[in-house]
Amino acid sequence: MVMATLLFALLSLFFGRYPKPGFSIPLDWKSNALMRSILFNVRLPRIALALLAGSMLSASGYAFQMLFSNPLVEPGFLGVSQGSAFGAALMIVLGASSTVAVQVSATVFGLLALAASYFLARRFRFGGWLLRLVLSGIAVSAIFSSALAVVKLVAEPTKDLQDITFWMMGGLWNASWAQIFSIVWVVILCELIIISQRWKLNLLSLGEKTSFSVGINVKRDRTILLVVATVGTTLVISITGLIGWVGLITPHLARKMFGSESSFSLPASMVIGAFFLLVSDTIGRTLLPTEIPIGLVTSLLGAVIFIIILSLKHQEGKV
Amino acid sequence: MNILELHDVSYTYPSGTEALKEVSFSIEEGSSVALLGSNGAGKSTLLDVLLGMHPHASVTLCGKPLSSYGRKEVGRLIALVPQSEHFNFSFSLLEYTLFGRSPYLGQMQSPSALDAQIAWEALAEVGLAGFEERSITSLSGGEHQLLLLARSIAQQSRILLLDEPTSALDPANRRRTLSLLKGLHSRGKTLFFSTHDVNFAAELATHVVMLKEGRLLAAGLKEEVVNTKMLTTLYGTEMRAQTFDGHTLMY
Repeated sequence: MVMATLLFALLSLFFGRYPKPGFSIPLDWKSNALMRSILFNVRLPRIALALLAGSMLSASGYAFQMLFSNPLVEPGFLGVSQGSAFGAALMIVLGASSTVAVQVSATVFGLLALAASYFLARRFRFGGWLLRLVLSGIAVSAIFSSALAVVKLVAEPTKDLQDITFWMMGGLWNASWAQIFSIVWVVILCELIIISQRWKLNLLSLGEKTSFSVGINVKRDRTILLVVATVGTTLVISITGLIGWVGLITPHLARKMFGSESSFSLPASMVIGAFFLLVSDTIGRTLLPTEIPIGLVTSLLGAVIFIIILSLKHQEGKV
Repeated sequence: MNILELHDVSYTYPSGTEALKEVSFSIEEGSSVALLGSNGAGKSTLLDVLLGMHPHASVTLCGKPLSSYGRKEVGRLIALVPQSEHFNFSFSLLEYTLFGRSPYLGQMQSPSALDAQIAWEALAEVGLAGFEERSITSLSGGEHQLLLLARSIAQQSRILLLDEPTSALDPANRRRTLSLLKGLHSRGKTLFFSTHDVNFAAELATHVVMLKEGRLLAAGLKEEVVNTKMLTTLYGTEMRAQTFDGHTLMY
């Protein structure tokens, strides 16, 4: 799987619209400055971002599904996606001149949404901790959705509204080495923390009493992993915009192939996530003369895979 | 030696419900204690307190306050068999049983071959040998209960807490569970189990704790505590306790 992903990463370097549409290996790249620039400053950072974002979104999705003991949740579960979307839209409407400002705002509001979900859940007096988190996540998502709708209403329709719409459809067209280096260390740290806690993820997917009885500090460990998964997700989507389905689908695929125990299926899920996003981006930038936002490609591919998985699940009776 | 002691333990839920009121009793190491009481008497809350889920300074484990132990230390001393467990992911039976080895693992450690051997032996003990690779989502109710027991056996704790271990079992699986628990008890494991199955309690318990509306009604040796009057008071309906051939029968 790792080899296939690396091989496809190498091949996708030669997919594009220059020197001709589709797949072409430019033999004159050493002497062609434009080709070199396209390969190393446009396509390579884009491929690197796809691998980084795909693995992080997948790791977050996997962690969320285990932490909530629910195979149908994804990283945006606690209002993070809607919070980030609001943050990005707000900065676009306020006329931010740099993409960094949009990224920072998206990250800050994504984390604010997580904090709001967490503190609301602590104040709720209904149900267990997980149910309270789910309910507060729904409430926070709804609040940021409404706020986002207001921002879109007042956005200047010929430019700002288009920018907001594109951000919400996701895309890697802005990928640059500078952007990647601004997040890569923290994202890799988040990934390493999640991988190091893969055994604990198994235990946290059990009932709260069972997890507790086998020596887990349930509330502390769950909170730490939620924060780590959310920070990683927020940093990624601050650059890529909203990309759905990766965090939902790839853990399912990994569990189908390697079983539910996280020692194998978590790393596998991350590799599949990287591969899935890379394939989606390559399709998005080569299929049509104009680029298809990656969020649309992942939604389409994800929905098809989801239907197939659910059909298989029905036959086998297991996740 | 008392392995667990409670002194005036009270617990009120954040909603204001007072679940336990000044409950005091002790559990001898190696005893088998049945926790009896009507629905809502506070049995589950008491099990949670003994597990350490509601930290309480007045609960002592092996002579030290339970709250002074680390989570893994408690996991090595006390195992829990919940009433049931809802499985959302299809772990294999061996993987699930291995989860019982967690109190012995470091922060980032995975189970060793020795842990796998212990888990395999626990599965064999409950009669699930040969099904190690089967998915936990494909188990029947009886097998489900046996698997929960296998995980707790793999945990190799000194105390086993069981929350209504026979509530969903047919007579054959009930007998099998009883036999397994008797075996564990005979090997020195301390059992503390809540149950509505009073005859299961009569067959397995050496001691009985009775809870009524969150208060301790009685605690002591089965022969001293269980009688017609106490059972009728405990359940608020006419009950009888009789002894035939040295066996107590409650109905």
